[in-house]
Amino acid sequence: MMNKGSDTIIERFRSITENTHEYAKSLQGKGQLLAGYMCTHVPEEILYAAGIIPVRILSSHVLQAMTRSYMHETYCSFSHDCAYQGLQHNYDYLDLIVTSSSCIHMGEAFNVWVRFAGFQQKSFLIPYPHIIETKPARGFMVESFGEFKQFIEKFVKKSITDDDIEGAIKVYNHTRKLLKRLWEFLRRDNPPITGPEVATATLASQVMDKQECNQMLEQLIQRLEAEPGKAPSGVRLMVTGGACDDLGIFGLIEHLNYSASLVFIDSCTAARYFWFEVPEDRSDKLEAIAEGYIGRIPCPAKDNVPGTGEKKRFRFIQQFIEDFKPDGVVFLYQRFCSPQPMDVVALKPILDKLGIPSTELELDTTVPITQFGTQLEALVEIITRVVPYE
Amino acid sequence: MPYSLTTWNEFKNYQSTCYRNYLYASEGLRCMGSTWSVLAPLKGLGEDVHIIGGEPHAASTAGTFPEESREDISAAERAGLGFHSCSYLKLFVGEVVRDKIAIPDGTIKEGYPKPDLIWTTHLCSQHSKWYQEVSRRMGGIPMYAIDMIGGGNAEKDPKIVKYVCDQIEEGIRWLERVTGREYSDELFIKAARNEIKVLVLWGNICALNRHAPAPLDERRLIALFPPAMVDRTTDQTVRIYEALFKEVKHMVETGQSVAPDQRYRIVYFGIAHTYGHPEMARILRDAGAEIVASVYTFGTAGNFRGIVNGKWSWDPLDPAWVDELDLSTRRNAITELAKIVLGWPTWQGVRSYWALEQMARAMITEYKADGLLLAPSRSCETDFRNGYVGMQRIFKSEIPTIEYDSDQVDVRKMDLPGAQRKTELFVRLMEAHKKRVHDK
Repeated sequence: MMNKGSDTIIERFRSITENTHEYAKSLQGKGQLLAGYMCTHVPEEILYAAGIIPVRILSSHVLQAMTRSYMHETYCSFSHDCAYQGLQHNYDYLDLIVTSSSCIHMGEAFNVWVRFAGFQQKSFLIPYPHIIETKPARGFMVESFGEFKQFIEKFVKKSITDDDIEGAIKVYNHTRKLLKRLWEFLRRDNPPITGPEVATATLASQVMDKQECNQMLEQLIQRLEAEPGKAPSGVRLMVTGGACDDLGIFGLIEHLNYSASLVFIDSCTAARYFWFEVPEDRSDKLEAIAEGYIGRIPCPAKDNVPGTGEKKRFRFIQQFIEDFKPDGVVFLYQRFCSPQPMDVVALKPILDKLGIPSTELELDTTVPITQFGTQLEALVEIITRVVPYE
Repeated sequence: MPYSLTTWNEFKNYQSTCYRNYLYASEGLRCMGSTWSVLAPLKGLGEDVHIIGGEPHAASTAGTFPEESREDISAAERAGLGFHSCSYLKLFVGEVVRDKIAIPDGTIKEGYPKPDLIWTTHLCSQHSKWYQEVSRRMGGIPMYAIDMIGGGNAEKDPKIVKYVCDQIEEGIRWLERVTGREYSDELFIKAARNEIKVLVLWGNICALNRHAPAPLDERRLIALFPPAMVDRTTDQTVRIYEALFKEVKHMVETGQSVAPDQRYRIVYFGIAHTYGHPEMARILRDAGAEIVASVYTFGTAGNFRGIVNGKWSWDPLDPAWVDELDLSTRRNAITELAKIVLGWPTWQGVRSYWALEQMARAMITEYKADGLLLAPSRSCETDFRNGYVGMQRIFKSEIPTIEYDSDQVDVRKMDLPGAQRKTELFVRLMEAHKKRVHDK
């Protein structure tokens, strides 16, 4: 069967997610500086404005024990795996490693790179608010971003102008708009693209040069708009949770013994990465970036509205439920993650009120296909009221 | 002959009175939250503010009522909280779920008294979730959390100090709004000076353990700092800590200790679990090994000089310095409070590996330690778990060092036989190390 145009582009995205080092090194071969980042709260625009390509550090899903003598075992497998990447020197080609103060687990993965993997002289930690909704957060972020900008200017030995930053903001906003359009295909009953394919493109965008990424996304969207939709594929499932760069789990959702489709992912490796925009053409560029990042779907580790203690992320989740109409929700988070399970306990009653069944999957270094498959099929059985073996 | 502290009862009474006031007050304001928060801002609301703080309450409950604590943790897990979540948190939420509360004087009260507000801090990724969950379960208690973005020498970073101060100032306006009370800066400033004084006094008391024999052991240290955690803003707290300081100074002058057999001096990093596990403490005690310094008991409610000229110092601050602080305006008092709390060693180590290592290095030297005992708490992400693993790599070639897992109040997560074997080995290592140093 001949490949559709969209399939070729999706394959290219998939290839980048499977060969991130090869892709990054090819950029470096063209003379690009590369900065690894460990958390999506890093304002990539500042790096990009300086001519540096931000590359998200992803895990390898290889069973290993070596990080246990550097990090406590009760840190999540994603942080262990990212620490492992540094200790294995898989990212030694990076010119810089950057993170922002986020969850303690990823902070410690960063520390391992700095202390034990040779990045001490080429690293930067951006102080970042832990309660994103607090009023003084914006001013604090502007100061922090200012210090980060100075560090980068010193690193690249040139000043970063407002025009440079504005250009980067526009490139990044374009990526965000395109990714949003791509996800919105999944609102349809018969989308021309699957959830796992959209997740693949989204993950690839986190390690790519955004201009190249934008070109590919534009072509992909153009072709998808011309393509007929696929047949409706059974039960619609939405995922909400923490970082997950193991695309196999999303493929699993669509390859159960029942017909099911993935319609949305609320996580920092999917929608939380791009579901916001930075205001353009503002006189104060750093303030604009701060405002944009404050407007993101909050990370559960930073979500606590002062005065009420409200979790603002829940508003987004309810909106996504309304827009993407899932029949069920999968809570997908890293084992040992601290904030995610605390959100699950509060989110379940909301889903119960909406009449949406849910299940919880705890991620580790590798995905237990059979176990997760059984749980997901049980969820589908609950939704469809199918009684197995009858 | 072990020394008996004369001020002991006064400490116990103070702590119990604070809790009883929270439980039984017929009027006034009940305030809940982390005692890692600045507490003085609450006191600007009046002289009838009763505080219950999560960590000291959970710790005291676990120590006083082991069976109840296990039930509380189970109840929280049955209510949906994760197995790996913080055990202080689960014990605390478990009481809310079971609608009963236990306090160290032996009281178990049916019907959990609902707080009027929650005033807390974001310490780790679970800490503000803790009170969000309590607020949700109790029908939406108004809640204000402060992001104390600590780590390293944060108290010397004007950007961080300003950020924390702005939040506290905003928080005071919120307190006025949510309670409908007129805020008294006079009461606030008085409470702020008391709070700072108590923290500085506790630092001075701990610093006396540099003497040999160390006057206080870990068991007393863990029991004597919770009153400062429960409510350190009152005149009475200042008075009892001044009395304790005087008494411990006298102990040093006369060479006395609550545990005089101190052949091996241990520096300990971890939440004090030996108190909940007498088996562990007994191994050390039988060998004449005492924990004489620990970052948790010293630095959770105590201040020291910290980073001076790029190096960590456990030297205490002069209590007279507190009397001279300019707290004449609300902003001044907020600033000094923010700086003193950001300066807690526990804050500084949470997000800064270099501060943690410097603290350990300085503590080992200043307290003339024979060994370093690291006991990360499995469910506490703030307990520097990662730092400990890294520290073992760094220190094991310098000083006898062992590391084993514990958990602050969840006994299920402690590998007791394994930890006992490691502790016995630790004693042997210290013995051999001492002999080698002596032979040289």
